[in-house]
Amino acid sequence: MILLTLDWAFIIEKLILIAIVVSASLVIAMYATYAERKVAAVMQDRRGPNRAGPFGLLQPLADGMKLFFKEEIIPNSSNKFLFIMGPALAMLTAMMTSAVVPWGNKLEIFGTTVSLQIADINIGILYVFGVVSLGVYGIMIGGWASNNKFSLLAALRGASQVISYELAMGLSLIALLMMTGSLSLKTIVEEQMKGGWGGILGWNIWYQPLGFLIFFVCAMAECNRAPFDLPEAESELNMGYHQEYSSMKLGFYLFSEYINMFISCAIITTLFFGGYDMPFIDESSMSVNMAALIGIVAFMAKIFFFIFVFMWIRWTLPRFRYDQLMNLGWKGLIPLALANMLITGAVILARQGF
Amino acid sequence: MLNDFFILMKFELLPAVIFFVLLFIKVGTAELSNASIIRLANILLFINLVAGFFYNKDGGMFGDMFHTNALIVLQKSILNLGIFIVSLQAEAWLRTHKHVIEFYLLLLSSLMGMFFMISGANLLMFYLGLELATIPLAALANFDLEKRKSSEAAMKLIMSSAFSSGLLLFGISLMYGTTGTLGFAQLPALLNGSNLQVFAFVLLFAGFAFKISVVPFHLWTADVYEGAPVPVTSFLSVVSKGAFIFVFASVLYTVFKPLADTWYHMLFLLSVLTMVIGNLFALRQQNIKRMLAFSSIAQMGFILIGISGSSQAGTASAVYFVLVYVFTNLAAFGVVALVSAQTGKEDITDYKGFHATNPVLAWVLAIALFSLAGVPPTAGFFGKFFLIMAGAAKQNYWLITIAALNMIVSLYYYLNLVKALFMDANASPVPKITFGVYAKLAIVICIAGMVLSGLASVVYEYIYNLSTGF
Amino acid sequence: MSTSEILFWFLSVLALFSAIMVLVSKNPIHSVLWLIVVFFAISGHYLLLNAQFLAIVNIIVYAGAIMVLFLFVIMLMNLNKETEPSRNIWMKFSGVISGGLLLWIFVSATRSAGEIVGKTAMIKEGSIGLIENLGKVLFTQYALPFEISSVLFLSAMVGAVVIGKKQ
Repeated sequence: MILLTLDWAFIIEKLILIAIVVSASLVIAMYATYAERKVAAVMQDRRGPNRAGPFGLLQPLADGMKLFFKEEIIPNSSNKFLFIMGPALAMLTAMMTSAVVPWGNKLEIFGTTVSLQIADINIGILYVFGVVSLGVYGIMIGGWASNNKFSLLAALRGASQVISYELAMGLSLIALLMMTGSLSLKTIVEEQMKGGWGGILGWNIWYQPLGFLIFFVCAMAECNRAPFDLPEAESELNMGYHQEYSSMKLGFYLFSEYINMFISCAIITTLFFGGYDMPFIDESSMSVNMAALIGIVAFMAKIFFFIFVFMWIRWTLPRFRYDQLMNLGWKGLIPLALANMLITGAVILARQGF
Repeated sequence: MLNDFFILMKFELLPAVIFFVLLFIKVGTAELSNASIIRLANILLFINLVAGFFYNKDGGMFGDMFHTNALIVLQKSILNLGIFIVSLQAEAWLRTHKHVIEFYLLLLSSLMGMFFMISGANLLMFYLGLELATIPLAALANFDLEKRKSSEAAMKLIMSSAFSSGLLLFGISLMYGTTGTLGFAQLPALLNGSNLQVFAFVLLFAGFAFKISVVPFHLWTADVYEGAPVPVTSFLSVVSKGAFIFVFASVLYTVFKPLADTWYHMLFLLSVLTMVIGNLFALRQQNIKRMLAFSSIAQMGFILIGISGSSQAGTASAVYFVLVYVFTNLAAFGVVALVSAQTGKEDITDYKGFHATNPVLAWVLAIALFSLAGVPPTAGFFGKFFLIMAGAAKQNYWLITIAALNMIVSLYYYLNLVKALFMDANASPVPKITFGVYAKLAIVICIAGMVLSGLASVVYEYIYNLSTGF
Repeated sequence: MSTSEILFWFLSVLALFSAIMVLVSKNPIHSVLWLIVVFFAISGHYLLLNAQFLAIVNIIVYAGAIMVLFLFVIMLMNLNKETEPSRNIWMKFSGVISGGLLLWIFVSATRSAGEIVGKTAMIKEGSIGLIENLGKVLFTQYALPFEISSVLFLSAMVGAVVIGKKQ
């Protein structure tokens, strides 16, 4: 048997990294459901879940087990293969984006440097867009395979919403890429870390505030989060495109929304808020492992802050109507993103002196 | 350099400027009536036509993506003339149409595509120009929005042109794969006639042949011409075909010179098939638009004879015939457009006794049909004469004989229509057509063109001096 | 067999198999999904040739946008096996024969081509596919086709709006 010329150490290192990232995403998404209910409670002046375990901390486990134990209903006249594939696609694309996010700087274990990013490809941001474009299929196939007119309508609405906001998302990032000069997420973070005051002055939020706002709004629309959650509007199209789903398939859909939210916040942090940069601390002056750990802590703190902002907005604003949503996407955000691009280009040219 | 840019690309910049003027009128708040928009568009197209004749020079820009010389300037002026006459004739139909500005926008972008295709010296630019020329036409074919036939015509056009573009692109990529370059200047040296290159050339040829609707790639022509609104049909049959003939001749003579023997045989076979099948099918048609469609297919067969001559006379006769064809076909389609816009009648039986109610239009249509048939002293005779002279240079007398026989056959269905116009009586003939100043101007230009471009020999001599062959 | 060769053979087989399944599937939605698999396989080939930008843009544009549009149309028009018109068997025969002839000629022309026999593709070495080089060439040497394609998109949009707008 010819031994394949593969680098086994490399593969094992990446597999461990993938396993850690995936399980971390799952755990964080689980507790994001819990946090959502607690934040909702705070805003609505009530207590939230506090029965399952101390302070209700075991609530997500209880929810998960409930979903596992429920009966699997597969509608008779639906397309069985596609029916099962819908939630699988949604979960797959939610997880795939986490491959290019730089979770921290490098670690030095036993003499080898382990970079805390699963894949540092030099088209990092485009990969994120590619995966987001594929995320549409989870919704559409789920809606179609349910063999239900309401699900189909909701799925098509959801798909058109995702496509419209995907465009503005891409345009808003062009200005950022012009400034950084590279598509690789690692390079973007490293460029930001070069700013003054331990890195905080280099964060892209100061240079691209409009881009950040547009990207933030589009990220909310991509995750189907309120106020953009028309496709899963509980009070309108019954339950939207996951109406016919039960048990763990429904669980996958709901869960993939939270994982999407987590990863979107990670990307927002990476692009605009310095990624794993801890402000006011000069990372090059301490040991590599220590810097990496501080970086991971800082990164997680920023992500949790943004998740809180997502939830804050959800429980504050009412839902958009479909035509208002489309108007905002096409007639509001795209011209703003183009204007942002032009202004950034003009300023860069002016600073270079033509 | 900037000066160069404006002068060299004048032909492309002018339609682009008109495009954006119309676009801003559409998006703006000014509520202009259809009549004023049509007047503005026609004035701008006239300025576009006239400005093309002055202050031209030879040169190239953007590497080999754009080049121009006197022959290309002439070809673009012919297309400008074509689009101006089409726009004049479209006025009757556009008066009550809801999307006048979009009509002009799509027409102008198609024209720009043709210009870039003619000036490109690179297969990539050629392909982009081809796509830019075709896609707006597919949308335009649907402009009779209430009629189902119009949607059917648009569907057939887009489906068949997408398929043929696919074949063309496959040929281009194989050509790039075997030679390593896309530029017209570098390709002839690298063509060594290997099997894969000949295969790629055949695919390219098929793409071209589709666009000029040569048999056996003609199946889209009749249905699209019948279903599309008449001004769009006239644009398709005259301007679009003319542009593709120009590019075809120039590409075959310059780029594929090493494969000259191969394409000579292909042209021979295709022109025979085209003339014979075009004429045979035209004999049976009852709808005048379909008849004119098949007649134009047969005319393309004649042009292929001229191109196969591969001499200076080959290019010159092809360019000259396109000029004559502009005047002739637009005259015929102009009359059909007027009748169709006012009464919606398109059958040959409806045209019986046309002379009694509309003598002027009947004469115009008759002269156009004589010119199409090749009867002297109309320009069509001279056009066909020069084409067959150019084709005879290769001493392929079979081809000439078949061409002559086909001319006789085509005379039958043209004269059949002339007989219906003048000699048949009709209980309910077409009523008196009122036509405005635009249609009158179009008819005058076409008649003058048909008569003068034949009798005034300076026209052909000028074209001959500009042409190159090998 | 190096990794690239294994990947090449795997992706080629996947692409061909999925392409055949596109044609053979009875359910049009299955055809669209198999076509998406074909696009993934082709993007994999592009990655092998080190054309990274092309690979990812292929996914974003083709698999992510155009196929979504196809799915919209199929779902809204509810196309399935029953609405497909049945064709004359002689048409099917002539289709098979002409397609088969084309395939035969293409394969024989490729096999006898002197330019290709005995050469290997540049895997992981070419630099023209990297995004910096592609950007530089696109905006200098190929600036004119770039601008023409923008006019093409604009006119296609105008045409689509005219046809599609509700009167």
